[in-house]
Amino acid sequence: MSRQMSETDRAARALLGEEARRARTRLALPFALGVAQVTAGIAQAMLIARLIATLLGFGEAGWAELAAAAALAALSAGLGVAQERALTAAGEAAKARLRQAAFSRLLAAGPADERPVGERAALVVDRIEAMEGYLTRWLPAASLAVAGPALVALAAGLADPTSGAILAVAGLLVPVAMAVTGLGAAQASRRQFEALGRLSGRFLDRMRGLPTLVLFRRQDAEAAALSTAATELRRRTMRVLRVAFLSSAAMEVLAAGAIACLAIRHGYVLGAAHPDPVAAIFVLLLVPAFFAPLRAFSMAYHERLSASGAAAELAPLLSAPEAEPGLVLEEMPRRLVVTFTDVRLSYDPTRPPALDGLSFRVLPGETLVLTGPSGAGKSSVLRLLMGFRKPDAGRIALNGQDATLLKPSELRKLCAYVGQRAHLFRGTLRENIRLARPGATDAEVEAAAEAAQVMAFARGLSQGLDTLVGEGGFGLSGGQAQRVAVARAFLRDAPLVLLDEPTAHLDPGTEAEVLDSLRRLCAGRTAIVATHSRAAQRALGRVLEIDGGRAQGARLAAGD
Amino acid sequence: MRADLLRLFGLWRDRRGWLAAGAVVATLSALAGIALLTLAGRAVADGVAPAAIFAGGAAAFLWLRPVAVLRPVLRYLDRLVSHAATFRALADTRVWFFRRLAERLPAGVGFRRTGDLLGRLVSDIDALDRVYLGALLPAVAALSVVVAVALVLGAISPLLALMVAAPLALALLLPPLLAPGAAEAGRRVAAAQGSLRAAVVDPLTGIEDTLASGAEGLAAQRVAQEGSTLARAQRLLARRGAWGGAAGSVLTQAAMLGAIAWGLAGGAEVAGVVLGLFLATAAAETLGLMPRAGAALAAAGASARRLFEAADAIPPVTEPAAPAEMPKGFAIRLEDVRFAWSPDRPAVFDGLTLEIPEGARLALLGPSGAGKSSLAALLLKLAAPQGGRILLGDVDIATLPADRLRARIACLTQDARLFDDSIEDNLRIAKPDAEEAALWRALDAAGIGELVRTLPEGLKTRCGEAGLRFSGGQARRLALARVLLSEAPVLILDEPAAGLDPDTERAFLETLAEATAGRSVILITHRLIGVERPTRILRLAGGRALPAMG
Repeated sequence: MSRQMSETDRAARALLGEEARRARTRLALPFALGVAQVTAGIAQAMLIARLIATLLGFGEAGWAELAAAAALAALSAGLGVAQERALTAAGEAAKARLRQAAFSRLLAAGPADERPVGERAALVVDRIEAMEGYLTRWLPAASLAVAGPALVALAAGLADPTSGAILAVAGLLVPVAMAVTGLGAAQASRRQFEALGRLSGRFLDRMRGLPTLVLFRRQDAEAAALSTAATELRRRTMRVLRVAFLSSAAMEVLAAGAIACLAIRHGYVLGAAHPDPVAAIFVLLLVPAFFAPLRAFSMAYHERLSASGAAAELAPLLSAPEAEPGLVLEEMPRRLVVTFTDVRLSYDPTRPPALDGLSFRVLPGETLVLTGPSGAGKSSVLRLLMGFRKPDAGRIALNGQDATLLKPSELRKLCAYVGQRAHLFRGTLRENIRLARPGATDAEVEAAAEAAQVMAFARGLSQGLDTLVGEGGFGLSGGQAQRVAVARAFLRDAPLVLLDEPTAHLDPGTEAEVLDSLRRLCAGRTAIVATHSRAAQRALGRVLEIDGGRAQGARLAAGD
Repeated sequence: MRADLLRLFGLWRDRRGWLAAGAVVATLSALAGIALLTLAGRAVADGVAPAAIFAGGAAAFLWLRPVAVLRPVLRYLDRLVSHAATFRALADTRVWFFRRLAERLPAGVGFRRTGDLLGRLVSDIDALDRVYLGALLPAVAALSVVVAVALVLGAISPLLALMVAAPLALALLLPPLLAPGAAEAGRRVAAAQGSLRAAVVDPLTGIEDTLASGAEGLAAQRVAQEGSTLARAQRLLARRGAWGGAAGSVLTQAAMLGAIAWGLAGGAEVAGVVLGLFLATAAAETLGLMPRAGAALAAAGASARRLFEAADAIPPVTEPAAPAEMPKGFAIRLEDVRFAWSPDRPAVFDGLTLEIPEGARLALLGPSGAGKSSLAALLLKLAAPQGGRILLGDVDIATLPADRLRARIACLTQDARLFDDSIEDNLRIAKPDAEEAALWRALDAAGIGELVRTLPEGLKTRCGEAGLRFSGGQARRLALARVLLSEAPVLILDEPAAGLDPDTERAFLETLAEATAGRSVILITHRLIGVERPTRILRLAGGRALPAMG
């Protein structure tokens, strides 16, 4: 377990290091602007010290120095604005790249990634934002926290070596204090992110099932459970913060200590016989300037903690290869022979396998109807052919070539697929159908909609095919959503047609019509249809019954 | 924006003790901060000056050490207490929001994108911590600092007090002055974040269809687009913050230089200049952050706005002001019901009249879209008819509280959902105190008990999000078992056999009468297979119910 932890830590550190390297050139400008700002602050403190000394009776500074100090104040403010702009620009580029990388890998992982959608979405949205904090706040703050105080301590040392030494010692103790207090923080931070992810996942899960909860009158109980989850999140977050704040408190101790030491040295030890009153005032005025970069660093420290938590979650995802491995189709075959030989697949080692040595063959122009009790493995056959899963053993061949050697996205180019839970994306019906072939003309989309009996209900909608449907297909019945998915398959025009319960949720009249069009869809192509429907079995073709992941009457079904 | 923030404080009423404690500690910590540097400055000036310039001599040294110890302690407590207070308040907001949505959107999220809603709850509520931590607390601390500076210097010279405290006070006033302008920028950031999350959630939710259509590129392009919209919005907000920060630093510098200018212009005592200078220097730390609080306040205001917008959706059915007594009987009668989902959609029912006596088994047939599911929505008060009335045991359900009504009518909807919990937890949603034997009875009646027995973890097996760890038919039967477990005397089963193989379907329907003995059952289905033995068969067509044969 601890080994695994350190593995994650190493991956997270590697990711952060990689990002820091990439950001280096972009961060040079804001760093230079920050150094200029510190220098302006030092010069201003010198001018003010001379002015105060004049008022105390030493030296002769006047309005010219005051005007110069005012000019420096304006310059410093301007430098601050410029620095912030440069940082924002640097962060944007990094975020866009990271987000794109994370999202494309989530898409490539497909249904095999079983984490709740909310959790996966948090990776692409929240974790990336946490990485920005690391790049644009922590990294520059960290480099300025070294350069800024060093410059200030140097200036103080030139005016009074002992004062310079006091500041230098305080500065050197800061990383020591931070290391001591920050030890447990990284781990606590990761736990906090897990809790946040769980809360997101849980909320999305409950939100989607809100009607179910309301109908069973469990909304209050769920609200109470949500409250418990929020309390847990607070506890975890506070645990992180108690440590993170300790490190900033340690710095306050050092700042207060430095002020007290300098006051005692210049006011009490050297006292009235002070050799250089200007230097006395100067070094005291430098204390806020000395600690400002360190304070900014400390404020940014929890950005780093958040980022290392985020990096630990992102690293496994981002370390996957950018492009899926596999071969690319050389040409689009018009005819496909699908052969399964002794194929095995298991989702969960503690459960019986989904496919347990399944063999069959389907020829071009042939439709194979898979039947069998729910859970028999019908959908698994289709998922394998879609490249959503890889078989554990056995061989899946297309025209005699091993299908698993193809890139999954290439494999899918050969298939038109209608899944069991057809999803309608937010957009119009037309957009939802056109998704299957973005280049399709309006006439082609309408023809597909007609063939899948979508027009039968779309005509009754005030805006026809241009009616907006929500995420999850709000406003359409299950059967209607199914028909939209069938329309996609029509438009797709692929040599292999895979249908998973295409007529579930349909009444017999509509079912007969959809089956009629499905028969036309399957004609001349290779088709595999998983269905319970007797009508579909009668209408579509050769039936292969599977049970427990095997073909029943396997001899017959294995083909010739 | 002000109204939203005030409403937010209303939600935090119960946490005012914690919130006030945070403000007190923050004030003390800020005051300790200025006291420390000012005491040091006074000590040094007094020490190096040829003649004593402060009355009271070495008092500064006496106080320096305890304040130097107190300041870090107060600062640590300040951050700890204020964060503890914020998180408590935020947890309350989270739960309040969930309850509100359950009340206002009982039929589900629909057109409101689920991803967007998730963003609303988690990000927007988290963003609200800026109201207290980023705006309210710094304002209270800064106000106390400005007042302290004005009082201390005012005792020396009113003009000096004015020159130092006036720029500081202006820095304090900047946030409320800048907030309305930044509000728009904040609103855009929050909205862009919601859209980005939705653009991520939608293709992942329908991942099979995304991949099947080869729409990965399109989805990635959309995410990139929403990402750059978000970046643009964040850039504008950051720019405002940067200018606010610059204004804050210029104003606090003006205060420091003002003290010196007062001295150069011949203002009497040098002691006043020294005090003014170091007070202003110390105050800069507290006040320099204030102008940024304006942007923070605006962003939080935008989050609050979006939160309340979702929470204030109009409930589909208003609760009766004076609810009637729950009836004893559970016979259902629909009288001349007219209903359409919205005025621009065709009417689903047009004069529907229907009777379901106690213990009846009604089979309701009809093509998809004929309104079979709409009938369930009406009976459960997820929608209200535009005309006619629906009676439960001779009482119009419009006069009954929806929650009490739903205790009488349980429904297996087409989109019945399994949660990412164990089988047992999913079943107990229908009856939290059910005994284990009852769970098994329900599972057996739904024809899935046998399968659950073969699972190594049995009832404790997790179902996965939306029951994805089971096949479609298995998940459906688990949802069915849940409905059978409920104690409601009326059951609405909307396509209970969808996704079942013919043998299981037949076995289930044959035992349905036994499993539901004594209860009324409304069986919504496309077709009958001949074993259901309904007491009555009706076909929905043209918005009315007609007697039918199988």
